[in-house]
Amino acid sequence: MARLPADGAGAVCPGPTASSAVEILDAKTREKLCFLDKVEPQATIAEIKTLFTKTHPQWYPARQSLRLDPKGKSLKDEDVLQKLPVGTTATLFFRDLGAQISWVTVFLTEYAGPLFIYLLFYFRVPFIYGHKYDFTSSRHTVVHLACLCHSFHYVKRLLETLFVHRFSHGTMPLRNIFKNCTYYWGFAAWMAYYINHPLYTPPTYGSQQVKLALTIFVICQLGNFSIHMALRDLRPAGSKTRKIPYPTKNPFTWLFLLVSCPNYTYEVGSWIGFAIMTQCVPVALFSLVGFTQMTIWAKGKHRSYLREFRDYPPLRMPIIPFLL
Amino acid sequence: MAAVAATAATKGNGGGSGRAGAGEGGGTRKKKGPGPVATAYLVIYNVVMTAGWLVIAVGLVRAYLAKGSYHSLYYSIEKPLKFFQTGALLEILHCAIGIVPSSVVLTSFQVMSRVFLIWAVTHSVKEVQSEDSVLLFVIAWTITEIIRYSFYTFSLLNHLPYIIKWARYTLFIVLYPMGVTGELLTIYAALPFVRQAGLYSISLPNKYNFSFDYYTFLILVMISYIPLFPQLYFHMIHQRRKVLSHTEEHKKFD
Ligand SMILES: NC(=O)c1ccc[n+]([C@@H]2O[C@H](COP(=O)([O-])OP(=O)(O)OC[C@H]3O[C@@H](n4cnc5c(N)ncnc54)[C@H](OP(=O)(O)O)[C@@H]3O)[C@@H](O)[C@H]2O)c1
Repeated sequence: MARLPADGAGAVCPGPTASSAVEILDAKTREKLCFLDKVEPQATIAEIKTLFTKTHPQWYPARQSLRLDPKGKSLKDEDVLQKLPVGTTATLFFRDLGAQISWVTVFLTEYAGPLFIYLLFYFRVPFIYGHKYDFTSSRHTVVHLACLCHSFHYVKRLLETLFVHRFSHGTMPLRNIFKNCTYYWGFAAWMAYYINHPLYTPPTYGSQQVKLALTIFVICQLGNFSIHMALRDLRPAGSKTRKIPYPTKNPFTWLFLLVSCPNYTYEVGSWIGFAIMTQCVPVALFSLVGFTQMTIWAKGKHRSYLREFRDYPPLRMPIIPFLL
Repeated sequence: MAAVAATAATKGNGGGSGRAGAGEGGGTRKKKGPGPVATAYLVIYNVVMTAGWLVIAVGLVRAYLAKGSYHSLYYSIEKPLKFFQTGALLEILHCAIGIVPSSVVLTSFQVMSRVFLIWAVTHSVKEVQSEDSVLLFVIAWTITEIIRYSFYTFSLLNHLPYIIKWARYTLFIVLYPMGVTGELLTIYAALPFVRQAGLYSISLPNKYNFSFDYYTFLILVMISYIPLFPQLYFHMIHQRRKVLSHTEEHKKFD
């Protein structure tokens, strides 16, 4: 049955002693990559991935996607062989997800960049605004407040990435980091350039506008943090379970009554606050792009909640109450 | 049983959770032709566009014969050129609503770059209109478009003459670099006038805290041709090999 191809690509992988057999084919070429002849029926996909790595060290487990159908959905690491709809010889299709990088590393580089870049503009380091402005400081209070808010926002995100979030995915494709960093870093530089410019024009409605904006910003930051804490409490440390989030005692989380991803709602709110505060077109554009992106994610997440949970609260919308 | 479950799993694909979904996705997308109404509309659209670009071609030839010189021919075809090139914006819509299977992003990019050149450069900077470089891209576009729109028309009617297919996948070898040269030279010629007039530029301070320098923007546009042009050109060469060699093989078997 398990005849090996002459080129030796399909070496017999070492397997534990028991009954089932697993063959792994390349999802694109259908070439046989590996045959595991003795796999315990209770083995999980994660274990099968580890066995597969032994003959193909270039594909460490996080890089592997195993599927029942070449074009189908990836099996989860927790899936148990026995419970899959396969016969005594399971055929799995392998796809290489490409080089992976830890999710945490990505987030840290994504967020540390804007924090640092913004400060370069704030302190007006040389070669940005012309020699005579080097290391000078703006005469508008709102510029200093904006720097505080911007830095606070990214410090908060860095700390949350390290100490709050319990991610279910360990890694993501390496190329994402280039894409995301260009986006975050580029926008941060563009916004910071105008806000800290010597020719900056302060908000039209003066301190009233700034106070309103600051209120929106602070409320949304608190809201965003509260939601992240609520999401953390849904998932026991070290697990990957996904539950329906519900409002808790903290009033900021009551937005869960109306939307599936209130953290995105609050995030967009923060940026709108920041845009009002600085009265700067690039900030408004960043808010708009961020809103579009988060709406797409929120819709995806909302859909998977509906798919996964029959009793999902019907009143909820993905990101904006009653609307979107 | 196994097969059923596997199919269900395939359907369940798409829409991951939050940003985690980004890495996955894909799956199968069915290719369907447009319905009869859409087909009729598309035939009309493509016939009109072919005719429009033929009008431009004839206009160019007549003006040349009348004047005996090829300088400043732009003025003789300015109106139809603007009209039919702007009409290409509908192609973006066709892709967006799905009656044409091409990518919305790619089509938008191609159409917008031309509409940009017609309105934001040639129309806006009067001084460049008499440049020969304008004629260079106008001729390249005219020939390309006549062939392209008739290609679509005949394909929609399922009677595509080989000569048109061949022309569509061959003439670009010359016309494409010719058009790009004309476009670049025209933008280059516009630069000093844009700078002088401060055209479409906003400078600080203003209450929106935003500035825009059209001069720099045009330079960036010119630079963007460097990575884009070879990519598109070799993509087309690749297409040509695929499409034309395929047909020749067919012919041998027939
Ligand atoms: N400005 C911008 O452009 C922008 C864009 C995106 C995000 N952000 C900010 O970054 C934050 C984090 O983004 P994100 O996309 O990672 O947010 P997210 O998908 O809502 O996830 C936040 C955390 O909660 C977990 N989680 C989510 N739903 C859960 C559930 N039902 N049960 C258990 N745990 C659950 C997630 O784990 P998993 O690993 O399982 O998902 C993750 O650790 C956002 O809230 C926002 O503040 C900003």
